[in-house]
Amino acid sequence: MSDCGPDCLETLREIERFLDGELQGDLRSRVQEHLSGCNPCMDRAEFRRHLKAMIASKCTGDQPPPELFIRVRAVIEERDVSGP
Amino acid sequence: MAVTGGAERPTDDAALRERFERDVLPMLPNLYAAALRMTRNPSDAEDLVQDTYLRAFRGFSGFTEGTNLKAWLYRILTNSFINTYRKKQRQPQTVEGPDDLDEWYLFDKLGGRNVELSAETEVLDKIPDEAVKSALESLPENFRLPVLLADVEGFSYKEIAEIMDTPIGTVMSRLHRGRKALQRALWDTAKERGLIDE
Repeated sequence: MSDCGPDCLETLREIERFLDGELQGDLRSRVQEHLSGCNPCMDRAEFRRHLKAMIASKCTGDQPPPELFIRVRAVIEERDVSGP
Repeated sequence: MAVTGGAERPTDDAALRERFERDVLPMLPNLYAAALRMTRNPSDAEDLVQDTYLRAFRGFSGFTEGTNLKAWLYRILTNSFINTYRKKQRQPQTVEGPDDLDEWYLFDKLGGRNVELSAETEVLDKIPDEAVKSALESLPENFRLPVLLADVEGFSYKEIAEIMDTPIGTVMSRLHRGRKALQRALWDTAKERGLIDE
Protein backbone atom coordinates (compact mmCIF):
# COMPACT_ATOMS: atom_id res chain seq x y z
CA MET A 1 0.00 0.00 0.00
CA SER A 2 1.01 3.56 -0.48
CA ASP A 3 2.23 4.97 2.80
CA CYS A 4 -0.11 7.92 2.98
CA GLY A 5 -3.48 8.51 4.54
CA PRO A 6 -7.16 7.81 4.08
CA ASP A 7 -7.21 9.39 0.62
CA CYS A 8 -4.81 6.73 -0.64
CA LEU A 9 -6.89 4.00 0.94
CA GLU A 10 -10.05 5.32 -0.66
CA THR A 11 -8.38 5.69 -4.05
CA LEU A 12 -6.91 2.20 -4.04
CA ARG A 13 -10.19 0.73 -2.83
CA GLU A 14 -12.00 2.34 -5.75
CA ILE A 15 -9.26 2.03 -8.36
CA GLU A 16 -10.72 -0.97 -10.15
CA ARG A 17 -14.12 0.67 -10.61
CA PHE A 18 -12.42 3.93 -11.51
CA LEU A 19 -10.38 2.29 -14.28
CA ASP A 20 -13.46 0.42 -15.48
CA GLY A 21 -15.23 3.75 -15.93
CA GLU A 22 -17.79 2.75 -13.31
CA LEU A 23 -17.32 5.62 -10.83
CA GLN A 24 -19.44 8.72 -11.03
CA GLY A 25 -19.87 12.04 -9.35
CA ASP A 26 -17.95 13.17 -6.29
CA LEU A 27 -16.19 9.87 -5.74
CA ARG A 28 -14.85 9.89 -9.27
CA SER A 29 -13.62 13.46 -8.90
CA ARG A 30 -11.97 12.71 -5.56
CA VAL A 31 -10.11 9.71 -6.98
CA GLN A 32 -9.08 11.67 -10.06
CA GLU A 33 -7.86 14.54 -7.96
CA HIS A 34 -5.99 12.32 -5.56
CA LEU A 35 -4.24 10.47 -8.38
CA SER A 36 -2.99 13.68 -9.94
CA GLY A 37 -1.27 14.60 -6.68
CA CYS A 38 -0.05 11.22 -5.39
CA ASN A 39 2.71 9.49 -7.32
CA PRO A 40 2.60 6.12 -5.54
CA CYS A 41 -1.14 5.81 -6.20
CA MET A 42 -0.69 7.04 -9.76
CA ASP A 43 1.98 4.36 -10.36
CA ARG A 44 -0.42 1.69 -9.19
CA ALA A 45 -3.25 3.09 -11.26
CA GLU A 46 -1.07 3.29 -14.36
CA PHE A 47 0.12 -0.27 -13.83
CA ARG A 48 -3.44 -1.56 -13.58
CA ARG A 49 -4.49 0.48 -16.59
CA HIS A 50 -1.61 -0.98 -18.57
CA LEU A 51 -2.43 -4.51 -17.42
CA LYS A 52 -6.04 -4.12 -18.51
CA ALA A 53 -5.04 -2.76 -21.91
CA MET A 54 -2.47 -5.52 -22.37
CA ILE A 55 -5.05 -8.22 -21.68
CA ALA A 56 -7.47 -6.63 -24.12
CA SER A 57 -4.93 -6.35 -26.91
CA LYS A 58 -3.44 -9.83 -26.48
CA CYS A 59 -6.62 -11.85 -26.07
CA THR A 60 -8.15 -10.98 -29.40
CA GLY A 61 -7.28 -11.38 -33.04
CA ASP A 62 -7.82 -15.12 -33.36
CA GLN A 63 -8.46 -15.73 -37.03
CA PRO A 64 -11.63 -17.74 -37.62
CA PRO A 65 -11.20 -20.52 -40.18
CA PRO A 66 -12.75 -19.68 -43.58
CA GLU A 67 -15.15 -22.64 -43.26
CA LEU A 68 -16.79 -20.95 -40.31
CA PHE A 69 -17.91 -18.05 -42.49
CA ILE A 70 -19.41 -20.56 -44.89
CA ARG A 71 -21.19 -22.43 -42.09
CA VAL A 72 -22.59 -19.22 -40.65
CA ARG A 73 -23.73 -18.02 -44.07
CA ALA A 74 -25.52 -21.31 -44.50
CA VAL A 75 -27.38 -20.64 -41.25
CA ILE A 76 -28.60 -17.35 -42.61
CA GLU A 77 -29.52 -18.82 -45.94
CA GLU A 78 -31.41 -21.48 -44.00
CA ARG A 79 -29.65 -24.33 -45.67
CA ASP A 80 -28.92 -27.57 -43.94
CA VAL A 81 -26.09 -26.85 -41.55
CA SER A 82 -26.02 -30.09 -39.64
CA GLY A 83 -22.77 -31.00 -41.33
CA PRO A 84 -21.63 -34.07 -43.24
CA MET B 1 -35.22 -15.17 -54.93
CA ALA B 2 -38.98 -15.22 -54.44
CA VAL B 3 -40.43 -11.78 -53.98
CA THR B 4 -44.14 -12.43 -54.20
CA GLY B 5 -47.06 -13.06 -51.89
CA GLY B 6 -47.57 -15.53 -49.09
CA ALA B 7 -47.95 -15.21 -45.36
CA GLU B 8 -44.20 -15.02 -44.81
CA ARG B 9 -43.91 -11.45 -46.04
CA PRO B 10 -40.75 -12.04 -48.04
CA THR B 11 -39.95 -8.36 -48.33
CA ASP B 12 -39.68 -7.98 -44.58
CA ASP B 13 -37.67 -11.17 -44.36
CA ALA B 14 -35.31 -9.93 -47.03
CA ALA B 15 -34.84 -6.63 -45.22
CA LEU B 16 -34.23 -8.44 -41.96
CA ARG B 17 -31.70 -10.73 -43.55
CA GLU B 18 -29.95 -7.82 -45.17
CA ARG B 19 -29.75 -6.00 -41.84
CA PHE B 20 -28.47 -9.17 -40.17
CA GLU B 21 -25.76 -9.56 -42.79
CA ARG B 22 -24.79 -5.93 -42.49
CA ASP B 23 -24.75 -5.64 -38.68
CA VAL B 24 -24.23 -9.10 -37.24
CA LEU B 25 -22.03 -11.00 -39.68
CA PRO B 26 -19.05 -8.62 -39.35
CA MET B 27 -18.89 -9.50 -35.65
CA LEU B 28 -17.90 -13.08 -36.40
CA PRO B 29 -14.17 -12.66 -35.67
CA ASN B 30 -14.93 -11.07 -32.28
CA LEU B 31 -17.42 -13.75 -31.40
CA TYR B 32 -15.00 -16.46 -32.48
CA ALA B 33 -12.20 -15.08 -30.30
CA ALA B 34 -14.56 -14.87 -27.32
CA ALA B 35 -15.86 -18.38 -28.05
CA LEU B 36 -12.28 -19.67 -28.06
CA ARG B 37 -11.63 -18.15 -24.63
CA MET B 38 -14.84 -19.77 -23.39
CA THR B 39 -14.53 -23.26 -24.86
CA ARG B 40 -10.73 -23.35 -25.04
CA ASN B 41 -10.64 -25.33 -28.23
CA PRO B 42 -11.18 -24.35 -31.88
CA SER B 43 -13.66 -27.06 -32.79
CA ASP B 44 -16.05 -26.25 -29.91
CA ALA B 45 -15.56 -22.54 -30.56
CA GLU B 46 -16.67 -22.97 -34.18
CA ASP B 47 -19.75 -24.92 -33.13
CA LEU B 48 -20.54 -22.35 -30.48
CA VAL B 49 -20.30 -19.48 -32.96
CA GLN B 50 -22.49 -21.29 -35.47
CA ASP B 51 -25.02 -22.06 -32.76
CA THR B 52 -24.95 -18.43 -31.65
CA TYR B 53 -25.61 -17.22 -35.19
CA LEU B 54 -28.46 -19.67 -35.59
CA ARG B 55 -30.13 -18.46 -32.39
CA ALA B 56 -29.38 -14.83 -33.17
CA PHE B 57 -30.86 -15.11 -36.65
CA ARG B 58 -33.99 -16.78 -35.35
CA GLY B 59 -34.42 -14.12 -32.70
CA PHE B 60 -33.35 -11.17 -34.81
CA SER B 61 -36.86 -9.98 -35.58
CA GLY B 62 -37.29 -9.44 -31.82
CA PHE B 63 -34.19 -7.28 -31.60
CA THR B 64 -34.90 -3.57 -31.55
CA GLU B 65 -32.69 -1.72 -33.99
CA GLY B 66 -30.62 0.97 -32.35
CA THR B 67 -30.32 -0.83 -29.01
CA ASN B 68 -27.20 -2.62 -27.80
CA LEU B 69 -26.54 -5.20 -30.52
CA LYS B 70 -23.18 -6.28 -29.17
CA ALA B 71 -24.56 -6.99 -25.68
CA TRP B 72 -27.54 -8.79 -27.23
CA LEU B 73 -25.23 -11.06 -29.24
CA TYR B 74 -22.88 -11.77 -26.35
CA ARG B 75 -25.84 -12.69 -24.21
CA ILE B 76 -26.81 -15.30 -26.79
CA LEU B 77 -23.19 -16.46 -27.02
CA THR B 78 -22.87 -16.74 -23.24
CA ASN B 79 -26.18 -18.55 -22.85
CA SER B 80 -25.32 -20.99 -25.62
CA PHE B 81 -21.97 -21.64 -24.00
CA ILE B 82 -23.43 -22.17 -20.55
CA ASN B 83 -26.28 -24.36 -21.76
CA THR B 84 -24.40 -26.51 -24.22
CA TYR B 85 -20.65 -26.46 -24.09
CA ARG B 86 -20.22 -26.11 -20.40
CA LYS B 87 -22.06 -29.35 -19.80
CA LYS B 88 -19.88 -30.99 -22.38
CA GLN B 89 -16.70 -29.78 -20.76
CA ARG B 90 -17.58 -31.14 -17.33
CA GLN B 91 -15.60 -28.51 -15.57
CA PRO B 92 -16.28 -28.23 -11.86
CA GLN B 93 -18.43 -25.14 -11.40
CA THR B 94 -17.91 -24.39 -7.75
CA VAL B 95 -14.21 -23.69 -7.86
CA GLU B 96 -13.08 -21.56 -4.97
CA GLY B 97 -11.62 -18.21 -5.85
CA PRO B 98 -8.16 -16.96 -5.08
CA ASP B 99 -9.08 -15.33 -1.79
CA ASP B 100 -5.57 -15.52 -0.48
CA LEU B 101 -4.28 -13.20 -3.18
CA ASP B 102 -3.81 -9.47 -2.89
CA GLU B 103 -5.15 -7.39 -5.73
CA TRP B 104 -1.69 -5.84 -6.06
CA TYR B 105 -0.05 -9.23 -6.43
CA LEU B 106 1.56 -8.58 -9.79
CA PHE B 107 2.45 -4.97 -9.08
CA ASP B 108 4.15 -5.92 -5.83
CA LYS B 109 5.90 -8.91 -7.36
CA LEU B 110 7.26 -6.92 -10.26
CA GLY B 111 7.77 -3.74 -8.27
CA GLY B 112 9.52 -5.61 -5.50
CA ARG B 113 12.54 -5.72 -7.76
CA ASN B 114 13.13 -2.03 -7.31
CA VAL B 115 12.68 -1.03 -10.89
CA GLU B 116 10.95 1.80 -12.65
CA LEU B 117 7.28 1.45 -13.53
CA SER B 118 8.23 1.35 -17.20
CA ALA B 119 10.32 -1.79 -16.56
CA GLU B 120 7.35 -3.43 -14.89
CA THR B 121 5.00 -2.75 -17.74
CA GLU B 122 7.71 -3.86 -20.17
CA VAL B 123 7.59 -7.30 -18.60
CA LEU B 124 3.85 -7.41 -19.25
CA ASP B 125 4.35 -6.41 -22.87
CA LYS B 126 6.89 -9.17 -23.39
CA ILE B 127 4.48 -11.95 -22.44
CA PRO B 128 3.45 -13.52 -25.76
CA ASP B 129 -0.19 -13.33 -26.84
CA GLU B 130 -0.60 -17.09 -26.62
CA ALA B 131 0.57 -17.08 -23.01
CA VAL B 132 -1.85 -14.33 -22.03
CA LYS B 133 -4.68 -16.23 -23.70
CA SER B 134 -3.71 -19.41 -21.85
CA ALA B 135 -3.55 -17.52 -18.58
CA LEU B 136 -7.07 -16.21 -19.10
CA GLU B 137 -8.29 -19.63 -20.15
CA SER B 138 -6.80 -21.17 -17.03
CA LEU B 139 -9.28 -19.30 -14.82
CA PRO B 140 -12.34 -21.14 -13.53
CA GLU B 141 -15.29 -20.30 -15.74
CA ASN B 142 -17.23 -18.18 -13.24
CA PHE B 143 -14.21 -15.86 -13.01
CA ARG B 144 -13.11 -16.16 -16.61
CA LEU B 145 -16.37 -14.93 -18.13
CA PRO B 146 -16.55 -11.60 -16.27
CA VAL B 147 -12.87 -10.87 -16.99
CA LEU B 148 -13.36 -11.72 -20.66
CA LEU B 149 -16.47 -9.56 -20.91
CA ALA B 150 -15.01 -6.60 -19.00
CA ASP B 151 -11.35 -6.48 -19.98
CA VAL B 152 -11.36 -7.99 -23.45
CA GLU B 153 -14.80 -7.01 -24.72
CA GLY B 154 -15.14 -3.77 -22.79
CA PHE B 155 -18.64 -4.29 -21.42
CA SER B 156 -19.86 -2.31 -18.42
CA TYR B 157 -20.79 -4.03 -15.14
CA LYS B 158 -24.46 -3.52 -15.94
CA GLU B 159 -24.09 -5.05 -19.39
CA ILE B 160 -22.18 -8.03 -17.96
CA ALA B 161 -24.89 -8.52 -15.35
CA GLU B 162 -27.46 -8.67 -18.14
CA ILE B 163 -25.34 -10.88 -20.38
CA MET B 164 -24.66 -13.37 -17.58
CA ASP B 165 -28.03 -12.97 -15.92
CA THR B 166 -26.26 -12.35 -12.63
CA PRO B 167 -26.66 -9.59 -10.01
CA ILE B 168 -24.25 -6.72 -10.54
CA GLY B 169 -22.66 -7.24 -7.11
CA THR B 170 -21.80 -10.81 -8.08
CA VAL B 171 -20.30 -9.59 -11.33
CA MET B 172 -18.09 -7.13 -9.45
CA SER B 173 -16.84 -9.64 -6.92
CA ARG B 174 -16.13 -12.30 -9.55
CA LEU B 175 -14.39 -9.78 -11.74
CA HIS B 176 -12.25 -8.69 -8.82
CA ARG B 177 -11.31 -12.23 -7.89
CA GLY B 178 -10.86 -13.26 -11.51
CA ARG B 179 -8.41 -10.44 -12.07
CA LYS B 180 -6.40 -11.48 -9.04
CA ALA B 181 -6.22 -15.05 -10.31
CA LEU B 182 -5.20 -13.79 -13.73
CA GLN B 183 -2.38 -11.77 -12.18
CA ARG B 184 -1.00 -14.89 -10.57
CA ALA B 185 -1.33 -16.86 -13.81
CA LEU B 186 0.50 -14.09 -15.68
CA TRP B 187 3.25 -14.02 -13.09
CA ASP B 188 3.68 -17.78 -13.35
CA THR B 189 3.83 -17.70 -17.12
CA ALA B 190 6.27 -14.78 -17.18
CA LYS B 191 8.53 -16.63 -14.77
CA GLU B 192 8.31 -19.88 -16.71
CA ARG B 193 9.34 -18.06 -19.82
CA GLY B 194 12.31 -16.45 -18.16
CA LEU B 195 10.96 -12.93 -18.62
CA ILE B 196 11.72 -12.16 -15.00
CA ASP B 197 15.08 -12.63 -13.41
CA GLU B 198 14.57 -13.02 -9.71
